[in-house]
Formats: sequence, structure tokens, C-alpha cells
Amino acid sequence: MTTLAQEQQGQVVAARRRWSPARRRENFYGYLFLTPWLLGFFGLFVGPGLASLYLSFTKYDVLTAPQWIGVDNYVRMFTRDDLFWPSLWRTFYFAGVGVPLGVIGSMILAILLNMKIRGVAFYRTLYFMPSLVPLVASVVLWKWLLDTDFGVVNQLLREMGVSNPPGWFSDRRWAIPSLISLRLWAGIGGTQMIIFLAGLQGIPDSLYDAASIDGANALQRIRHVTIPLLTPTIFFNTVLGIIGALQTFAAAFVATEGGPGFATWFLALHIWKHAFDYWNMGYAAALAWFFAIVIVALTIIQMNLSKRWVFYYGE
Amino acid sequence: MMAKSLSRRGFLQLSGALAASGVLAACAAPVGAPATGGASAGTGQVNLIWDTFRGPGTGWNEERIETFKERYPNVNIEFRPLTGSSQQDNYGKMYAMHAAGDLGDIIAFDPSHFHFWRAIDKKIIMPIDDLVEADGTDLSQWYDQFMVLQYHQGKLYGLPSWGWAGFDTLVTNAVHFDEAGIALPEPTAHDTSMDTVGEWARSFYREGERFGLTIGYSEASIVVLCRIFNSDLINEDGTRCLLLDDPNAQTALRWVYDLAVVDRVLPAPGSVENFPAAQLDGRITMNMGGSLNVRNYHRDIKDETVGRAWQILFPTREDGRFPSQIRGGTWNILNGCKHPTEAYQFLLHITSTDGCYSFNLVAGQGAFVRPDVMQKLIEGNPIHEWFLPNLENGIPAHAPANSRGREYTDAVAQWSTLLFDPTQPVDFEKGLEDLHKNIQAVLDMEPA
Repeated sequence: MTTLAQEQQGQVVAARRRWSPARRRENFYGYLFLTPWLLGFFGLFVGPGLASLYLSFTKYDVLTAPQWIGVDNYVRMFTRDDLFWPSLWRTFYFAGVGVPLGVIGSMILAILLNMKIRGVAFYRTLYFMPSLVPLVASVVLWKWLLDTDFGVVNQLLREMGVSNPPGWFSDRRWAIPSLISLRLWAGIGGTQMIIFLAGLQGIPDSLYDAASIDGANALQRIRHVTIPLLTPTIFFNTVLGIIGALQTFAAAFVATEGGPGFATWFLALHIWKHAFDYWNMGYAAALAWFFAIVIVALTIIQMNLSKRWVFYYGE
Repeated sequence: MMAKSLSRRGFLQLSGALAASGVLAACAAPVGAPATGGASAGTGQVNLIWDTFRGPGTGWNEERIETFKERYPNVNIEFRPLTGSSQQDNYGKMYAMHAAGDLGDIIAFDPSHFHFWRAIDKKIIMPIDDLVEADGTDLSQWYDQFMVLQYHQGKLYGLPSWGWAGFDTLVTNAVHFDEAGIALPEPTAHDTSMDTVGEWARSFYREGERFGLTIGYSEASIVVLCRIFNSDLINEDGTRCLLLDDPNAQTALRWVYDLAVVDRVLPAPGSVENFPAAQLDGRITMNMGGSLNVRNYHRDIKDETVGRAWQILFPTREDGRFPSQIRGGTWNILNGCKHPTEAYQFLLHITSTDGCYSFNLVAGQGAFVRPDVMQKLIEGNPIHEWFLPNLENGIPAHAPANSRGREYTDAVAQWSTLLFDPTQPVDFEKGLEDLHKNIQAVLDMEPA
């Protein structure tokens, strides 16, 4: 008499035996080719990620062994770190203003560059070019241009009669808007625009033709055909845009190093400072884990909200 | 050939086990075994590794190795340039290299970058007193004030590399003074009052065109400003901020506040992208800097109708000292180095008269650490004579006792920026209190 478990095990073994040599070989090569990725995934992502989770519960300065301190780093973050909440707020401000402007700007630009006009390839190249400039180089360039006292922009503004032009990177009120502008300059015509262009070119002409026959003008076609069918692309760009903006670091690091007076001290910079400048690696790991959870939570919320407004053509 | 198929679960378990073992290995306490070179068996050759961010790309390091090799043919030195985007980035790399057991034999953890004491506490660098004694090295060949920086708790840990008197001067464009018909003080005199400097800052200012005075709000300048007014930013022990305790320190910062916030004749923090470049363009009359800035300004001037280099020194303090902050670097030997004697000889070689001289002229560093080198520099360019008084009568830098150097400099820079920001002014008393509180908070932290 055989038990059910034995019977099932026998079936599995039999199924394996049925594998032909070719299928086994295919199986082997499949895993073989996956190996580099898996090694990278576990060795460079999962492994360090788990290590940093452990380190977030320790006091660790790289030079001496981590010392377990429980949740103290997390308690410190929420209760004793004067820079934590303001830096989180600044990060959301940067993303909250920069991402919608970027997504809308890229979409409008893509719609314009999707028109059948002469020289459109030239314009597409022209608008794409800023995104090819390395970030650090573009930040340095903009710092020169936006120099409050001697920069070209403010010199022009003065000549136009603006007696007190903005202190772009020197006035705390202007520092984040200046960084947002820099990001828009490099980002509007970049990858987001290309993705929008791809999305636009996936919209069937028949829908525009039908709308035209129904009497829709250009704006109405955009409103009722283009935008609804672009919602998956808008969603995709928004999710990636928010993730990217929340992690903003290099521009603030190069342009202002968190200043003036902490005005651009974003959370990513705060993490970097603690990790690589102050050598509070355990605390930096705690900050990073909290930040990662925030980003994942935001992404899940967006995924859930997307069911209400994202329209997939053909579904 | 495959004997049996590998299940997906089995494969993932295997990969997971490999990754987990990697993680555990990474989490293990660093062994700290140095990467120090060894002697090749039977050849008598000694191998040393030199890790530094000072000099790469200039040819100085290679020249030093080559000339050393002529004297010590059995010693091979491998030069590994550290090329982080900023000097401070390289310390991170060096700590990581040490944790990985891959840090070289000859290294530098500079006192004035606040890494020196930390490197000693973490046993990264070794004391060299025995080596000095065995060699019979005459330590008086370096200025005493730069040698003092090399000691900690009575032990000597290095020999001087770079060094200067900090932000002890006003790098001055003499053309503006000539145009205004104002006689410039002697470049080595300390008889210009701060009232006069303030008056000049106001009178040379032209809105949108020129600043009479510029000050970068960093620890380097704030300390010297306090010292000008017979005070200091922190006490000598590095445990207490003096701003709220010492009226003289408050006078110093009030002097800046009046110019920056009340009269608005100083650039707002961060508004001028590059002070030296703006001064070369004739847009700044006096820029608070150091001797190296004077030398560079003098060197970089292209049009003498736009700029001519001068310096104005700050007034002598009540104690007779010249307001300054003696800052300097070091060359160290890795703790655990297998060939400390050879490494020490190399230290002597790069800090010798020739080594130091070429460190200035070839590597482009400000290494005013040896009297004989200063004389040679003066012979080559008399402007170096201007720097002697403050080198010889300067005041040493004070560092946080807890080695929280970067937190300290960040706190000073960011909170003094808030105090001196004319775009969103704060009351002087409130700004001063915030600055003091945040500096003290750093000094009160546990040791790094």
C-alpha cells in the first residue's frame, strides 16, 4: 500500500525521468547563462542589501567591527536628528514640483516633435542633446551661468531692468527651484521624451481619423485620444521620475553641497554625508533603509492609484 | 556532460548559499592585514607601496621614486595614485582600503583634514620616534609649528608635507587701490585695523560690478576672523565652542554680520561661483584667503591693468601673535609595514629640501614647511617673503578632540551661512546662538 505522498513523489521522479537529454541540456544551459546575472543579483544587490539591513542595527565606522545597538539608529533618525525631517521634506518638495513639470514638459515636447513637420529629426536631436551632457558638467555650466553676481543670466536680467535678480544658488528660496530648472533642462528632452514619442507612435491613426470624422479638433483629439492612450506611458514616466527625483544627489552635491544654509540638503545627501564623510555607516544604512521603504511604499500607492486612471488600449 | 538535471529550486538554493557566504564574509570584522609589500625571497629586494592623492599627474611622485631608487637600488616603490573627485573623498577610499587590508606603506592622513588623530586611534599609522632616533634625524629642519602637528599624545607619527598659515591674509588687487588713490599697507605689515578693512569693503563695493571684500564662510575663515579679534572659535582642547562665552568672538562675527547683512556689501553665501576667477576679472578687491592664494593670483594675472597682486595682513593680536591658523599635512607609515626603515627613508626623501621644493614647484602644493625651502622659494619668487611673518609667528589650528572634523567643518559652514545670509536675515543673536549650539553639539559627540 502506498501513501499519497509516496505516490506524488513517484510521479515527480517519473516526470524527471521523462526529460529527454536535449531538455536536460537546455535546462543546464539556461541556468548556466543565468548564472552571471544571478551572481550579480545576489552578490551585488541582495547580499549588500541584507548586509546593510544588518548594519542599520549597528554602530559601524568601517574600521572597527559593527557593534549591535538594536533600533537606536531608527530612534535617532526620528527623534534626535535635526536634519532628518527637513531633508525629507526638501526631497519631497524637489520631487513634487520637479516630476510633474518634467512629465508634462516631456509629453508636450513629444507631442510637438511627433508632428509631421520638416526637419523634425533635427529638432528631436537638438532637444535630446542636453540629456547627453554629463550631469556634473551640466551642473558646473549652470553654476557659471546662474552665478548671482557675475553670471550671464543675471547680467542679462539687469540689462533688462531687473534691479535685483535672483540669487539662484545663493538664496535659500531659489536654490531648489534652480536645481529643478537644471533637472528640467537636462531631462525634458531626454529619455522621458523618447518614451513618450514611442508611446505616441503606438497610437493607431485610425483613432485620430475616427475622431476627426466625428468633428474633433486638434486639441480635442489630444484631450480624448492622445492623453488617454498615453496614460500607461505617463504612469511609467511618473513612477520612474519620482524614484529618480527622490534619489537626487549629484546635482545638489556638486552645485551647493547641501547649502546655502542646508537649503539643498536632500535626504540622499544626508545619507551620503553620514556614510562617507562622517563614517556613521550604521546610521546611514538605517536612513537608506527607511528611504527605500518610503520609495517602495510610494510606488505601491501609485500602482494602486493607477487602476483608476491608466487606460490600456485593447484590454 | 550532465549526469542529472538541476532543479530550479536547487539552483537557487545553491546561488543563495554562495551569496550568503559572501555576505557573511563581507560582514566579518576586517582583519586589517596591510597590503604592505614584502621582500622578494632571495633577492634582497624590498617592495613598498605609496598611496597618495598628492601629486598624481604632475610627475613629482615619479621623480621622487626615481631619485630614491638611485640611492636605494634594492627598494622598489609602487606608486598608486588616489584620484577621488576631492581630497576628502580619498580618505574614504583609504579607510576602505585599510579595512580590506590593501592600504599601502606610505600614506597621509592630514591633521588639517582632521583624519590624523582618527587614523592614530584606529591604529592605521605607526609612531616613528624609534625610526627618527635610529636615523638621528634632525627634526629642526622643518618649522617647529608644522612638526607640532605631527605629534599625538607625545608620540611622533609623521613628517610634514604641505603647510601654510591658513586664511591669514586679504588677497588684494592693488589696481583698485591705485585707482582710488589709497596707499597700500606694506605686504608684511600688521598695522591695518579691521575698521579700515571694513571701510574699504564698503567703499570698493559697486553693486553688480565689484565686491570690495569677499569671505567664504568656512571653518578656515571663521576661525581666523575670531582670532583677529583676540578670540577663537573653539578652545585649544577642541572641546568647547567659544562663541557665546567670549565677547571678542561675538565682536568678530558682528563685524562680518554688519558688512554682510546690515550693509550688504559682501556677496551672499554661494553667490559668487569662483572667488579667484572673479578676482582675476577685476571684480573683487580683497578676498580673504591664504598665502597660496596670493601666490596663485600673482601667477595667474594676465593683464596688469586689471589686476596686480598684493596682500594685506590682519592686525597683530593683543598677545603679539599674528591672526592665522597654521595648517598642514603629513606623510605617514602604515602600522604593520614590513619595512619601516626603508619606508622612513622614503619619508625623509620626499620631505627633504629637494623633495619639499619640488613638491611646491612641480606638484603645485603649498608646502612652506621648511626654512631652507622658503629661502629657495624666495630666491625664485620674492613674493614668498611676504609669507614669512605669519609662518614664524602663526597660531596653530585647533581640532575637535573627538576627531569629528567633517561634522565640525560642515556645522561651521552651514550655520555661519545662515547667520550671514542677507537674503533671509536672522537676528544676530539668534544666528550666533544657533551657530554656537550646533558647533558645540558636534564637539559633544562621542569620538569618531
